[in-house]
Amino acid sequence: MALYNFKKIMVVPTAKDFIDLTLSKTQRKTPTVIHKHYQIHRIRHFYMRKIKFTQQNYHDRLSQILTDFPKLDDIHPFYADLMNVLYDKDHYKLALGQINIAKNLIDNVAKDYVRLMKYGDSLYRCKQLKRAALGRMCTILKRQKQSLEYLEQVRQHLSRLPTIDPNTRTLLLCGYPNVGKSSFINKVTRADVEVQPYAFTTKSLFVGHMDYRYLRWQVVDTPGILDHPLEERNTIEMQAITALAHLRAAVLYVMDVSEQCGHTLSQQLELFNNIRPLFANKPLIVMANKCDVRKISELSEENQKVFTDLTAEGILVIETSSLTEEGVMQVKAEACDRLLAHRVDTKMKTKKVHEVLNRLHLAVPTKRDQRERPPFIPEGALLRRKAMETNAPKRKLERDLEVELGDDYTLDLQKYWELMNPEEKQDKIPEIWEGHNIADYIDPEIMKRLEDLEQEEELRAKAGEYDSEEESEDEEMKEIRQLASQIREKRKLKILSSKEKDTQGSRMPRTAKKVERATLEKEMADLGLDMTDKDDSHYARRSRSLVRKRKREVSAPPTSRTRSQSASRPPRDQSGVRDAKVVPACIIHYVYILQGDHMKANIRKLV
Amino acid sequence: DHHERKRKKESREVHERSHKARKMIGLKAKLYHKQRHAEKIQMKKTIKMHEQRKSKQKDDDKTPEGAVPAYLLDREGQSRAKVLSNMIKQKRKEKAGKWEVPLPKVRAQGETEVLKVIRTGKRQKKAWKRMVTKVCFVGDGFTRKPPKYERFIRPMGLRFKKAHVTHPELKATFCLPILGVKKNPSSSLYTTLGVITKGTVIEVNVSELGLVTQGGKVIWGKYAQVTNNPENDGCINAVLLV
Repeated sequence: MALYNFKKIMVVPTAKDFIDLTLSKTQRKTPTVIHKHYQIHRIRHFYMRKIKFTQQNYHDRLSQILTDFPKLDDIHPFYADLMNVLYDKDHYKLALGQINIAKNLIDNVAKDYVRLMKYGDSLYRCKQLKRAALGRMCTILKRQKQSLEYLEQVRQHLSRLPTIDPNTRTLLLCGYPNVGKSSFINKVTRADVEVQPYAFTTKSLFVGHMDYRYLRWQVVDTPGILDHPLEERNTIEMQAITALAHLRAAVLYVMDVSEQCGHTLSQQLELFNNIRPLFANKPLIVMANKCDVRKISELSEENQKVFTDLTAEGILVIETSSLTEEGVMQVKAEACDRLLAHRVDTKMKTKKVHEVLNRLHLAVPTKRDQRERPPFIPEGALLRRKAMETNAPKRKLERDLEVELGDDYTLDLQKYWELMNPEEKQDKIPEIWEGHNIADYIDPEIMKRLEDLEQEEELRAKAGEYDSEEESEDEEMKEIRQLASQIREKRKLKILSSKEKDTQGSRMPRTAKKVERATLEKEMADLGLDMTDKDDSHYARRSRSLVRKRKREVSAPPTSRTRSQSASRPPRDQSGVRDAKVVPACIIHYVYILQGDHMKANIRKLV
Repeated sequence: DHHERKRKKESREVHERSHKARKMIGLKAKLYHKQRHAEKIQMKKTIKMHEQRKSKQKDDDKTPEGAVPAYLLDREGQSRAKVLSNMIKQKRKEKAGKWEVPLPKVRAQGETEVLKVIRTGKRQKKAWKRMVTKVCFVGDGFTRKPPKYERFIRPMGLRFKKAHVTHPELKATFCLPILGVKKNPSSSLYTTLGVITKGTVIEVNVSELGLVTQGGKVIWGKYAQVTNNPENDGCINAVLLV
C-alpha cells in the first residue's frame, strides 16, 4: 500500500497550460535546426525525437497525477468515506479514469506516427507528420479540460483537510448545532475554532490535540447534526456522520440543557436515539452543556427524567459548562480513562496480545519466613503528603515573589545569611576601612598562606620550571634575530633624528622625492650589500631615449623604464624580497636571467 | 484574510499583465499576442452588443418569405418556369453521368513520386521492384505474392483500413472502414494497386449511419472522396458523396 500524503500532491495544470507547457518544453529541449539537404535518416530522427519527447512528457505528467491522487480503495475507510462525501466517489474515479485513457491514447498516437515517419522521404513530409502527431496529442488533452479542472479543485481541498489519524486515541464531539462543541474543544485543546451564535458555524471537521497522562489525544470537532434520515443529509452533516462511523473514538454527545440552541431536550434525545447505532462499541459520555445557564436540577420533571433515564441505562451524564469550565476536566478525565480501558480491552481480545503475554512473567520473591515486610515510607514523606492533601501553604518560592513584585523584584541573597545579629543582614559591606583593605583581613591566616606560596615559588624556580628552553636555532634564525635587532636600533635612531629635525611646512611624498644615487649606494653598503660596479643597474641608467638597442641574443624582457619609475621599484627578481641579505639559498631558482651577467654575479656573491 | 488577498491579487493582475505584454520576446510573445488579440476582439464584440441593446435599429427580417413588392405582383409565372427549366437541366446532367465531386481537379502524381525504385540483386543492379510511398488500401483477403516475384511493394506501415468521413449536410464526421478504392484520378495503375492520394474516390462502409433506401433496403456502402494528403497527415479524411 502506497503511503499517501495529501499535502504533497503535485499541482494539476489546466488543459491549456498543460499543452502550452509541454509544447514549449519540446521546442526548447530538442534540437531546432534542420535543413532540407541533410540525410533523410537524420531528418527522420530529428522529427521522431520531437514526437517521442512530447509523448514522454505527457505520459510522465499524467502518470504522476494518477499516482499522486489517492486510490479510494487503498486509504483508510474513514478517509475514503470522507472523500466520497466531499467529492463524490463516482466523479472522482471517472476523472482519474479519463486521465488514464488520455494517457494511453497519447501513447498510441505517438507510436503510430513514429511508425509512419519511417516512410517519410522528404523534410516536408516528415514535418507534416510531426505536426499532425503533436496536434493530435494536444487535442486529446484539450478534451480532458473538465477532468483536470475537477482534479485541481479536489487537490486544493484535500490538502486543506485536517490530519486526523484514525488509529490513535480520539475524542469525538457530536450533537445538535450550537450546543457548545466548538467551545469545548477550544477550552480543552489549543485549537481555535470559530464560535458564533448562528447554526452551522463549524462546516467541516476540526482537530485539536491535548495531553493527558503523558499521551497525545486528538479531539475532533464535528459540524452539528440535525435530525432527519440519512438520505436527506447534506454534505456538512455527512462529514460528521462519517467521522462517527469510522473513527474508533470515545464519543461525547453534547446536549444543551438550557435549550439555547433552538431545539428542545426531547428533540435532542430523539437525535440521540437515532444515532445510537453509530455509538456501538464506543465509550459514550453525555455532556449536559451550558449548565451555568440552567442546571439539571432546575429543569422540569419530564426533562429531568430524560437524564435519569440515560443514567439508568448506564451512560455517564456529566454537567459541564464551557464558560465556567465546570466539569470540563472531569469529562476529559472520564472520557480518556474509558477510552484507554476500551482500547486495552480490544487489544486483549486480539490474538496478538498472547504473543506478548506469553513472554511476560511477573516474578514474585518467595517468602523466606513469616515476617511481614511492609513498604517503608519515611516520616518526612508522610508529613509532606499530608501537607499536600490539606493544601497547607508551602514555603514561599522566589518565583512567587518575583511574580508578585513584578518590575520591582531584585534577587536578594543576603537575606539567607546567618549572622549573630540578624538586623545587620542588609547592611552594606565597605571595601576599605581606615586605610586597610578589608579583603586582606577576611581570612585570619592570610599571612601564613602568603609565606607558603612564596616558598613554593622559590622551590619551583630552583627546580628550573621557569627557565626558558634554549631552542637550537639554526644559522638563519640567528641571522634574522641579529638583523631584527639592528633594524630596531636603526629605527630608533631615525625616529630621534627626525624628531630633532624641524619640519618645514608640507613635505613631498617619498615617491616624488629624488633619491641620490650616492645615498642609495651608501645605505646599501652599510647594510652589507655589495654596491660596486653598479653602473648597469636600473637606477643608474639614463632615460629611455638613450638606451642601447637591445641585442637579440639577450632574450630578456626590456627593462628600460624611466628613471623616476625605476628609482622606487626594485628589479622584479627582488621585488618580493625585503632585504637582499635575507634571501636564503633556496630562492635561487626563482631568479630570471636578467640584464647581463652583472646581476647574476651579484646574486652569487650574496649567497 | 483570504478575501483581502484575493482582491489585492486581482488588482495587481492588471499591472502584471501589462508588464508581461511589454517585456515578452520570441515565440512565446507571438503566441501570447495572438491570443490576446482574439480576447480583445471578443471583448469589443460584447461591448458593442451591450451598446446595441440600448439603441434601436431597423429590423431587416420583418418581411415574410415569398412576399413580393407591389410592382412585381404579376410576375409569378416567370419564377415557376425557372424552376421547371432547372429540373430539366438536372435530369440531363444525371443522364450524362457526370459525377459532381467536391474536388473536381486534383494534382496528378507522377510515378517517381508515388513509386520508389528498389534495387535488388547480388550487385544491386536490378531495378524492377517498386515500393509505394503513399498510403494504400489492401483488401481483407490480401496475401502478398512471393517476395521474389513481387513487383510492387506496399509496406504494412502505410496500409490503412479506416477513413474519417464527413457527411457534408450533417457536418458530422465518422470513422468508417474502407471497402475499396474506386478510382484514383492520377492513374489506373494506382487504382489497381489501391494507392490513396488526394482526390481518390473510395468506397466506405456506411452501415453505422443507418441509411435506408426508398424501397426499405439498408445502404451499407457509399462513395467518398479523399480531401487531404494522407501520407503527410497519417490519416485519411474524406467527404461522403451524397
